[in-house]
Amino acid sequence: MSDPAISSTASSDESLLARYRSGDGPAFEVLYARHRQGLYRFLLGLSGKPELAEEVYQETWLSLIRSTSQPQGRANFRTWLYQIARNRLIDHWRKHGVHNPLHDSYDEQAHALIDDAADPEQLLSLSRDGQRLETALQTLPADQREVFLLRAHGDLDLPQIATLTETPLETVKSRLRYAQQKLRRLLAEEVLT
Amino acid sequence: MTDAKQTPSSPDDEMLKHFRDHSSGEPPAHLDAFILATAHREAPAPKPNLWQRWLHACQQPRWQVAFASLVGVALMLALVQRTPEQLPNYDFAPAPKASAPAAKPEAAARSLDEPTGAMSAPAPAAPMAEFSAPMQRESINSEMADEAKLSKRAAAPAKSLDDQLREVMRLQDAGQTQAAEALMTTLHKRFPKENLAAKLKEMQKK
Repeated sequence: MSDPAISSTASSDESLLARYRSGDGPAFEVLYARHRQGLYRFLLGLSGKPELAEEVYQETWLSLIRSTSQPQGRANFRTWLYQIARNRLIDHWRKHGVHNPLHDSYDEQAHALIDDAADPEQLLSLSRDGQRLETALQTLPADQREVFLLRAHGDLDLPQIATLTETPLETVKSRLRYAQQKLRRLLAEEVLT
Repeated sequence: MTDAKQTPSSPDDEMLKHFRDHSSGEPPAHLDAFILATAHREAPAPKPNLWQRWLHACQQPRWQVAFASLVGVALMLALVQRTPEQLPNYDFAPAPKASAPAAKPEAAARSLDEPTGAMSAPAPAAPMAEFSAPMQRESINSEMADEAKLSKRAAAPAKSLDDQLREVMRLQDAGQTQAAEALMTTLHKRFPKENLAAKLKEMQKK
């Protein structure tokens, strides 16, 4: 017989969720371990506040635990999970009267700078200080930051991000490109200073 | 989840990997514990399999009544369906056998009284025995119905010639001559070889 733990590790997110919904408690542990870090870092990077990130993070998982719904249509579990978290964060901003930065229209062309840090050797000199990374990330416009975080920590591909944010695919591509250019420049400058 | 990434192939991928590898931020341990505990506490009860659901349903009173009724109907149907199959003995005309002992004494008595005529008179069982052949070709239900009729005939055997003649005498005495003549006509047809008039006179002398 196969080891349940091994089979759980090899199972897809969707099958783990289905097993949890049918009473398999350990399946949730595997699912949680897979996504806990990425989801938390996405929320932390998007909100910029650890307390808010923790609150939304907890609400997201509890919502998933208590919900009986499944990922709909072409959405997979990962897209679905980040969609829930994003909606919860937007709800929190709305409830507390905080302006939703994701709704800001940002002229990416106007803020686009020539990327002169595309040299791979220069990438090696990027700052590895977590605080500096976080500071650089927070300097990005919210919509660019969101796309970058979904790509980096959510491991979503661009079409999935476009679906999740209800944004045209080309816009998502340009946001990611500008975000990476700016981060590269900021982190390189941090090293030089 | 941030560890198993493909080898970066572009500066953009390098940037993503750089962030994945060097970003900080972990959910607090107490949050992990709370979420996992909640998940275990609120995990749906395992769904019973089909057999367990069947047993559970059987334990419900209303279903018990329903199942019992169903079983009762099934048993009744089974019995009804099996009953004709358990009657092979009746396919061979049991009535004549049953009536034979009752008819034999009469025939014996008649043969003692009139040795010559008794041999030609049809035994009461004979007509019934003739029915047994077509009966076998009929359906089970018709066989059963015929069997019932034959049983009744066996229980009440046909009147003997002497009895019939006594009935003629009784009708004549009662002044019902037409009925007496009609009965005599019938007896003539039934017993064509008998000298009914002589036999009637003989009986009247007695």
